[in-house]
Amino acid sequence: MLSALNLISQNLNAYLILAGILFAIGTFGFLARRNAIAMLMSIELMLNAVNLAFIAFGAFVYSADAHHAAQASTIALIVMAAAAAEATVGLAIVIAIYRNKKTPLVDEYDAMKR
Amino acid sequence: MPYDMLIPLIPLLPILGFAFTALFGRRLQLKFGRTAAEIVPVGLIVAVWVIAMIVVVPALGHAEPFGEKGLDVHLWTWIPAGKLTVEMGFHVDALTACLLIVVTTIGMLVHIYSIGYMAHDKATWRFFAYLNLFMFSMLILVLANNWLLVFGGWELVGLSSYSLIGFWYHKRSAALAAKKAFIVNRVGDVGFALGIMAIFVNTGTLNIAESLRLLVEHGVHNTIPLTVVALLVFCGAMGKSAQFPLHVWLPDAMEGPTPVSALIHAATMVNAGVYLVARANPLFSSAQDAMVVVAGIGIFTAILAASIAFTQTDIKRVLAFSTLSQLGYMFAALGVGAYGAAIFHLMSHGFFKGLLFLGSGSVIHSVDGEQDMNRMGGLWRKIPITHATMLIGTIAIAGIPPLAGFFSKDEILGEAFKSGFYWVWIIGVVVAVMTAFYMWRLMGKTFYGESRVDPAVAPHVHESAWQMTLPLILLSIPSILLGLLVGLPLGNGLLVGWLKPIFAESEEILARTPTESLFGLPVDAVLIVISVAAALAGLLSALYLFGVGSRKVKQDKVDAISSTNGATRFLYRASLNKWWFDELNDLLFIRIGGRVAAFLWWFDRTIVDGTVNGVGTVVKDAGGGLRGIQTGRVQNYALGIAIGLIVMAGSFLLIVGQPR
Repeated sequence: MLSALNLISQNLNAYLILAGILFAIGTFGFLARRNAIAMLMSIELMLNAVNLAFIAFGAFVYSADAHHAAQASTIALIVMAAAAAEATVGLAIVIAIYRNKKTPLVDEYDAMKR
Repeated sequence: MPYDMLIPLIPLLPILGFAFTALFGRRLQLKFGRTAAEIVPVGLIVAVWVIAMIVVVPALGHAEPFGEKGLDVHLWTWIPAGKLTVEMGFHVDALTACLLIVVTTIGMLVHIYSIGYMAHDKATWRFFAYLNLFMFSMLILVLANNWLLVFGGWELVGLSSYSLIGFWYHKRSAALAAKKAFIVNRVGDVGFALGIMAIFVNTGTLNIAESLRLLVEHGVHNTIPLTVVALLVFCGAMGKSAQFPLHVWLPDAMEGPTPVSALIHAATMVNAGVYLVARANPLFSSAQDAMVVVAGIGIFTAILAASIAFTQTDIKRVLAFSTLSQLGYMFAALGVGAYGAAIFHLMSHGFFKGLLFLGSGSVIHSVDGEQDMNRMGGLWRKIPITHATMLIGTIAIAGIPPLAGFFSKDEILGEAFKSGFYWVWIIGVVVAVMTAFYMWRLMGKTFYGESRVDPAVAPHVHESAWQMTLPLILLSIPSILLGLLVGLPLGNGLLVGWLKPIFAESEEILARTPTESLFGLPVDAVLIVISVAAALAGLLSALYLFGVGSRKVKQDKVDAISSTNGATRFLYRASLNKWWFDELNDLLFIRIGGRVAAFLWWFDRTIVDGTVNGVGTVVKDAGGGLRGIQTGRVQNYALGIAIGLIVMAGSFLLIVGQPR
């Protein structure tokens, strides 16, 4: 069992499949959940899925090239920073709307129609 | 003589008379009676006649300041617009003078006649206002020195003709006839307007003398070929002078009061076309193809109208078709290059046809408004002056020497023969026989034989008032003497001398060498014998059938002839129905044209408007439909983004990511 996992962890495709699954879950959550906070969480999930893909590519494709491997990690760090900023702004907006509408459910929000 | 003062007065006085009568005529007539309303318009026209005669005499004699080329009276610059400069001015030469004689003389006599004829009408003032307006228009047309002013007069003549034909507008047939005349005239006028534009394109000027000189000078180097220009101008002439196929309005125009028929539809307005072609004679002489068309249409109209006149029973309609036929003669003369002969016939026809129309008006007046010749007859003892003058008119138009019609008609036929247009000559002789025949038929049915007048009216038949008989007597003088005075010696009379400078250029261009002898005899003598024989043949056969004095109309013989066999029966019906031209026009323009117009209307409504409206509707409905997807909910947009992403990524994989 452990050796099987060990074998899988040596394979790029396993990471990419995992990233894909995480991204799909994130997308589904963003589209299907009605709660604004849950939607923000889903966004984080998607971003992290992408980050995982970056890191996996950095580790497997450019394993012999330390310079390129470092670049992949750098992008992942930038994505994390952007995600943190986005989560901050997103939460601020959600709270502001919540105060107005008294509900966290996004299908009650239709201000963009006007 | 200060001619440049007198000439503008000729059109000025009638328009003043029109303005005065139109503004004050009604009040004057109500307050002071008919005479008060009539005195100004009639008096002014008499003054115009006097002035015109003062101008005409030196103009015909080529005296100073007219000279051979005529006198130009410049009033002011009418339209100064860059390259287009139109002068307001008049031009008087011998040709203008000939027209002035006819227009002012007959105009004056018709004004006097109308005093008697309209004595029982409520709106006499309105009639005289229109008559004055007509005189103004016609005089402008004749005097103008540029094409635009001619066109202005041309249209004004049409307008006043419209108001006069429809003078009894409460009569539906009169209103319809007025409309018909106006519309048919417009058809020709479009051609004339295009012709004027073509002249301007070719020469850059609208002055008549100047533009004609340039047109001939440019010859084949004109932008628009001269034949086209000539035919366009002729188009206008066809409308006004009622030549085939635009002849249909003239017979219907007889719905107007009879003085109008005499003035407008016999002696003046219908001559405008002849005048126009004669005025533009250098143009036509330079475009000989167009001249053949003119001659062909003229002589065809002559025989067509004469054949219709055979069977009409309305006295005025017979005269109307006779007018058409005589105008056809004039155009045939113009077409063969005998411009002088055409003007000669214009003048003599103006007088004797004016006389015949006024006479028919006197007849109608005496039998209480009846126009059907089948309900006249035997009137010659009861209205002797009318009978005598109409007899003179009939003999004149039939072409019996030495009356006016003989000289002018003979000159046309002679010129046609000598210029080599034998077909024009042959048809012309046939028309001469027919003319004499139907004119005597008119006389016989109206004046001779037994009375068929309505018994209720018969005791009241009376000679008309002096205002009506005086013009008849005065008009019969030129009908008798005009030919003797200006037509002798044959082919070289006074009139020829007067008009020589006008047509000299054309004669130079045409350069005809006339045939001088025939069968060893002088050609003139042979032709005269033939045409007199033709006229006599027509006259005597009609005299035999329709009687003279108290001899009865041989109605059984007439019926026998018209129903001999299929061919004669067909001809009789064709003549009676005017060769079905009204029906043809109805079919072509009302039915088929109406269908085409309805189709075009439908096409415009459904296809053209439909396309425009359709584009609008599609965009509007598409927008309305797409409005539904703008829910304002962030997740719907996100779904759209996701689907878009999947589609793009999927198609990228399918197309680019294919394993090679």
